[in-house]
Amino acid sequence: MRGVTWALAGPVRRTLPWRALGAAGAVGLLIAGVPRLTGAQPNPWQTLVLLRGIALVGALGLAFLLDDPARHVTAAVPTRRPVRQALRAALVAPLVALWWTAVLLLAPPASRPPAAGITLEAAVTCVFALAGAAAAVRLRDEPRPGPGVAAALLVSAALAPLLAPESWALFVPSADERWAAAHDRWAVLLVVAVVGWGVCGPEPVARRRRRATAARAAGGAG
Amino acid sequence: MSAVLEVPAEAGSPSRGGARAAVLALARFEARRLLLSVPVAVAFVGYVVWIVWHGRNTWDGYPALQDADRATQNMPMLVGLAVLLSANLAVLRSWRHGTESRFAALVVSPWSRTAAHALSVVPAALLTAVCVAGQFTREALKPGAVGHGSPAELLVGPLTVLLFGVLGVLVARLVRSAWAAPLAVVCLLFLFVLGTGPSGTDGVSWLAPVVTEPSTKTLPSALLGRPAAWHALYLAGAALTLAFLAVLAAGGRSRTVKAGVALSLALALTGGIAQAARMSPSPELTAARERASVSPEKEQTCVERGGSRYCAFPEWTARTGAWAGVVDEVRSLAGGSAHGQRLVVRQRLDARYGLEGDAALAPSEAAHQVTVGTSWGGNRVPEFSTAVAAVLVAGSEKASGGMCDGRMVTVMWLSLSWQDDPLGALRRVRLDDSLSGSAVVLSPTDPLTMTEGQTDVVRRLLGEPRAAVAQRVKAHWAELTSPGVTTARAAELLGVKGPEKADSCEE
Repeated sequence: MRGVTWALAGPVRRTLPWRALGAAGAVGLLIAGVPRLTGAQPNPWQTLVLLRGIALVGALGLAFLLDDPARHVTAAVPTRRPVRQALRAALVAPLVALWWTAVLLLAPPASRPPAAGITLEAAVTCVFALAGAAAAVRLRDEPRPGPGVAAALLVSAALAPLLAPESWALFVPSADERWAAAHDRWAVLLVVAVVGWGVCGPEPVARRRRRATAARAAGGAG
Repeated sequence: MSAVLEVPAEAGSPSRGGARAAVLALARFEARRLLLSVPVAVAFVGYVVWIVWHGRNTWDGYPALQDADRATQNMPMLVGLAVLLSANLAVLRSWRHGTESRFAALVVSPWSRTAAHALSVVPAALLTAVCVAGQFTREALKPGAVGHGSPAELLVGPLTVLLFGVLGVLVARLVRSAWAAPLAVVCLLFLFVLGTGPSGTDGVSWLAPVVTEPSTKTLPSALLGRPAAWHALYLAGAALTLAFLAVLAAGGRSRTVKAGVALSLALALTGGIAQAARMSPSPELTAARERASVSPEKEQTCVERGGSRYCAFPEWTARTGAWAGVVDEVRSLAGGSAHGQRLVVRQRLDARYGLEGDAALAPSEAAHQVTVGTSWGGNRVPEFSTAVAAVLVAGSEKASGGMCDGRMVTVMWLSLSWQDDPLGALRRVRLDDSLSGSAVVLSPTDPLTMTEGQTDVVRRLLGEPRAAVAQRVKAHWAELTSPGVTTARAAELLGVKGPEKADSCEE
């Protein structure tokens, strides 16, 4: 099985939506570099908004990661969908990490928020995009659900700061005393997103078949 | 079966009118889909909820319509971004679903379909116009509304939606990828909505769809100096240019399209250049601003009400009644000659910097003259009330500025005791919103100061029955208002416990 997964790495790498990822990465780096290019001195809140926006740009790129025009063909391959999705994520993860590091280094150092906190926020946004893409793949028959996922992500990103309960304090400035507590909640959201992705990963057919197999096995034993 | 066969036979001989009807039919269909798409529907629902919720307490019920028109501009940008996204996805739908090649068999050519998509944005812009009109009408119908709105400022919201939506169509024609629109939305968010983009009031900043000014003060509409009409022309021209460019990019090469590109570009350039040229205020506007700031009496109309004179700029004359109510309340509590003192309430403003900066008003030196600003309601009421009380006690605004003795107790009691919630008003009129300790007290011109002891005494006075205190104020008016009276003495005269510490402004 591991051998098959390794053998899949090459073809999967070729089917990744590199143009969407590349465009998102380039736009993100461009936004991060604007203060340096223009010599502006943004205040900490502006830098924080900038970095949150860049995280959203990255997540918009990742919303297209699970687009697979050949999904109806690959449904039949022995490697299960969670493995294939994880492989896609694993292939881009190092690049995303590099990109985010570059973004953090490009951001104006004087007003940069704590790296750990903002990285956690970015990770939650990105994993939510992936979970959303996985849910779209799971619930719909669309081979390329990316545009819809990206639209949903944008709408929820616009609504979240408006509708999230004030007591959660998710979108606080870094000088706020609730910053640490807020990032405990961000960590919980990360877990929620990962679990959501995990739940949406498997092919529904495969699960049913497994249940059927298990039932048959139980019948055979009994 | 026969029906299926008949359709291509009809479509085989397209007439000009038929193609136009097809474009309109497609535009109607796409418009319906656009308005019902999730991002646009969510944006409109959110927009309407915002209008209803936000409109309850704007300007504390006393809006100036020349500000209310600009307040309609920001939210449509979010609607516009949603329209951009959905219009873009709608253009790309046939490509995503692999039906592009099938459309090639139809009479409607790709550029006609693009024109239909561009037209499909129009109903969203019209719906925005309805929302903007609703928001503005609601402000205009408030009983305390003054001033004049500008139709050109009201057009900015719908035109922004049109511009963004057409941009979505153009982006879809240029970049045939679904990721382009979301990324464009984020970039536009940064440029225009989140305030991280270029700011300032030069010609370049007016290229943004919505131009917000750094100052939030209210000016007479004639002194605003915003090239609103040219800006609306610029936005309309820009939206048309993008629409024609989208049709051009889709292969429309007819003479109409080329002429449309040229004409709309000319419109946009005219608007853009004209608004940039009007950035620096004209000599007439500068002179008018100077006149209104330095010698407002030449511009104002005055009315007599209850033995006082109220001078206001023409757009504010309806508000003199509200001012007179405050003056009458405060004066009725005063004793001695102040009880019948004739006051001049003069509206003043500093328009010399336009909306680019705020300047504090210098206190008026004329005796028995009180300054009132251009906004009203909320905190402006206790602030004005304090200024009236200070002038009644000290004689003029200039004299009341340096007041640092027990007279401050009388001033604050006169100012606050008649109000519905005197302690709340005391809290709001103080800069730090406190009810203890020393603090700065706001007024339309220079602020006053209260020491810790004065604050305690005023708080105790406000706890006493009003009629009893009013009687004592009138009985001891001469001593209470004589310069140099200590806070302890004022408290003694008014029958409450004096301050714990000695009274001094250096506290």
